Amino acid sequence: MDNARSFLRAGAFALAAASASLLPLATQAAEPLKIGFSMALTGGLAGAGKAALIGMEIWRDDVNKKGGLLGRKVEFVYYDDATQPANVPGLYTKLLEVDKVDLLVSAYGTNLIAPALPIVMRKKMVLPSLFGLAANEQFKYDRYFQIMPAGPSPLTDWSKGFFELAMAQNPKPKTVAIVAADAEFALNAAAGARTNAQKAGLKIVYDKTYPPPTTDFSPIVRAIQATNPDIVFVGSYPPDSVGMVKAANEVGLKAKLFGGGMVGLQFASIQKNLGPLLNGIVNYDFWVPEPTLDFPGVKEFLGKYQEAAKGKGVDPYGHYLPPFAYAYLQVLGQSVEATKGIDQGKLAAHMRKSTFDTVVGKVKFGKNGEWAKTRVLQVQFRDVQKDNLEQFAGPGKRVVLYPKEWKSGDLVYPYKQ
Amino acid sequence: MKSAAFWGVLAAILAGGLALTAVLENEYYYNALYLILQATLMAVAWNILGGFTGYVNFGSAAFFAMGAYTTVALNKALGLPLPLLILAGGAVGGLVGFGLGYLTLRLKGVYFAIATLAMAIVIETFISNWTYVGGARGAYMLTPDQHLWFNSYIQMLFMVMLLLTLAAVAISRMLSSSRLGRGLAAIRDDEVAAESAGVPTLRLKLVSTTVMGAMMGVAGAPFPYFVTFVDPVSAFNLFIAVNAIAMPMIGGTGHWIGPVIGALLVGSMQEIVKVTVSSELNVLIVGVMLVVFITLAPQGIVGLVRKHWQRRKS
Repeated sequence: MDNARSFLRAGAFALAAASASLLPLATQAAEPLKIGFSMALTGGLAGAGKAALIGMEIWRDDVNKKGGLLGRKVEFVYYDDATQPANVPGLYTKLLEVDKVDLLVSAYGTNLIAPALPIVMRKKMVLPSLFGLAANEQFKYDRYFQIMPAGPSPLTDWSKGFFELAMAQNPKPKTVAIVAADAEFALNAAAGARTNAQKAGLKIVYDKTYPPPTTDFSPIVRAIQATNPDIVFVGSYPPDSVGMVKAANEVGLKAKLFGGGMVGLQFASIQKNLGPLLNGIVNYDFWVPEPTLDFPGVKEFLGKYQEAAKGKGVDPYGHYLPPFAYAYLQVLGQSVEATKGIDQGKLAAHMRKSTFDTVVGKVKFGKNGEWAKTRVLQVQFRDVQKDNLEQFAGPGKRVVLYPKEWKSGDLVYPYKQ
Repeated sequence: MKSAAFWGVLAAILAGGLALTAVLENEYYYNALYLILQATLMAVAWNILGGFTGYVNFGSAAFFAMGAYTTVALNKALGLPLPLLILAGGAVGGLVGFGLGYLTLRLKGVYFAIATLAMAIVIETFISNWTYVGGARGAYMLTPDQHLWFNSYIQMLFMVMLLLTLAAVAISRMLSSSRLGRGLAAIRDDEVAAESAGVPTLRLKLVSTTVMGAMMGVAGAPFPYFVTFVDPVSAFNLFIAVNAIAMPMIGGTGHWIGPVIGALLVGSMQEIVKVTVSSELNVLIVGVMLVVFITLAPQGIVGLVRKHWQRRKS
C-alpha cells in the first residue's frame, strides 16, 4: 500500500515537473525582458542611488508605453546593495543564476561596480555602467560601457578643463594648491590634477589630503592661504565640499581660481544651502540647464523626474545623475533594438561602433569603454542669491566655460581679490 | 559530543561540501554560503576571547582587514598562491593579536573593549595612508584563472572557507575542553581567584588573543579574491565587527557550538533577507535579535536548550 502511494506521488511530481518545464515554451513570446542590477538604496550613496532608480524607472515606463523591447515588456529585477561592496558579487550572481535576467546594468559608483565585473566577465555579459571612475582600468573588459562623460583617460580628463582655463588667463597663474579627501574618488581626482598641473608647468605649493570625517576646514584653508597659491584645486565629497566653501569664505581665500573636483556642488539642496558663497567657484559638472546643453528629450525627462521625485527625499531637480541613469538604459535599449536580440556579443559590437542619441546628448564609446571624447564640464557659479532653490532650475547660475563646444559664457577671473 | 562522533560529523560536512560542488552548478549559492561561513569563522574566533575568556573585543574588523590586506600586499609583492596567503594572513592576525594582548590585557572589562576599538581605528588609519596597498583609494584583485578541479573560482573559495571554518571549530572545541580551556573559564569567572589558584592568567590570555587574531586574519585572507576590490571602508566595516559579537551572543558564548549555531542562524537569515526584503534590514535583524537575546536569554540558544534539558531531567 505504502509503495503504491509513493509511486503515485512520484508520478504526480514527475507530471508537475514536466508541465512546469513545458510552460515557458508556451509563454515565451509574452515573457517580459528582465534587466538586472543592484543599486545603493540604503547606506552612504542612497540619496543618489534612489534618484538614479527613479530615472531608470522613467525609462522603463517610457519604453513599455511604446510596446517594450523586441515586443516584450521590460521588467527590472534589482536589489539594494546597501552601499556595501561585499554584497555585490552575491547579488550579481543571483541575478544571473537564479533570476536569469536577460540583460545587466551596473550599480552606481566605482566601489560597487568593480566587485560585479569579474562575475559579469565570466558570463560575457554586456555591462553599461553608471559613474565608475576608471573602474575598468585593471579589468580591461571589452563589454564595459561607462556613461559618465569622464573621457578616454578618466583620471586626467577630469580636471583638464580646469587647468586649461587657468592657463588661458592673463597673467598666467604660477602656483597651485591641491587638497583632497583621503578616499577613492577624491584621491583619483587629485592625482589627475597633479599630472595636469605639472604638464601646465605650474608649481605645486601645497599638496595634502585630509581624513574624510573632518568637519572643520578653516585650518586647512588657512594652511593653503599661507602658501599663497594662484589656483586651488579641491577633490572632495559632499559634506566636505560644503565645509570647504564655507571655510574659504570665512578665511577669505585669495586664490584666483577655486574648485575643480568638488562633489556635492551639483546637488540642488547643497546649492541652496551655500547660496551666494558659491559665486565665482569653478567646478566640474556633467549637465546643467544651459541653452548649449538642451539635448532632445532632456527637458521632458527632467519634468517627469521632478514630478516623480516629489516627497521622496532625493534631489528635486535631478540634473546630475538621473539623466545619465536614463541614458545608460537608452544605450542598452537602442542596441537591443538595432541588433534585434540580446546576443551579448552583437550588443557589445554595436555599442562599440555606434553613436547613441540620448537625453545627455550624443554618446560614443572609446576603446576602454569610456566616452571617446571627454565632456567633463567646468561651470562657474554666477549671481547666486540667498535662500532660493528655484533659481537653480533654469540657466544663468552655472555658466559652462569648458569644453568650447558647450560653452555658454566666459570665465570671471580672478575668483577673489 | 564524543570525540569520534565530532570528527565524523566534521568529515561528513567536508564531504558534503565536496559533493555539493559536484552536483550544484548555481554560483549564487556558493556566494551566499561563503559569506555565511566567513561569518561563522569570525564568530568562532571572537568567542575564543569573548566567550571562553570573557574579554570583549570590538575590533574584530581590524583583524579581518589585516588578513585581507596581507593578501593584497603579498600578492602584489610576491604573487603568492592562496594557501600561503591564508597562512600569512593568519600569522599577521596572530601577531597583531599577540601584540594587542601584551599591551592591553592588563586592562579589564570595558577598558579592554575600548582599547580594541581604538586599535581598529589606528590600524585603519595606517592602511588608509599606505599607498602600496592602495591606501584610501582601494586595491583591485583579479581573480586567478585556475581553480583546481572545481567548476568556478567561487566553488573553490567556498571549499577553502569550509575547510578553514571546520578547522576553527575543531580548534575551538579542543581549546574549550582542554586544561587550557578550563584555565580560560577560570579567568572569565574570576581572574583574581584564578591567579591566586595558580592559573597563569597572562599567558593564557595571550594564547587566546593570539588564536583569535590568527583565526580572524585567516577569515580575511581570501576576502580580496571574493570581492575583487578592497578598500578600507569595506574591509574595516563595522558590520563585520557587529556580526562577530552578535552571532556568539545569540548562539551562546559559553560553549564552542554557540557561535556556530548563532552564525548559521543569523548568517542564513541575513542572506535570505538580502535578496527578499532589503540589505539594510540585516543590521536591524542583528540589532533586534541581540536585544531580545540579551534581555530574555543571556546564555543564548545553547543556554535555552540546556535549561530545557535540565527541566526535563528534573
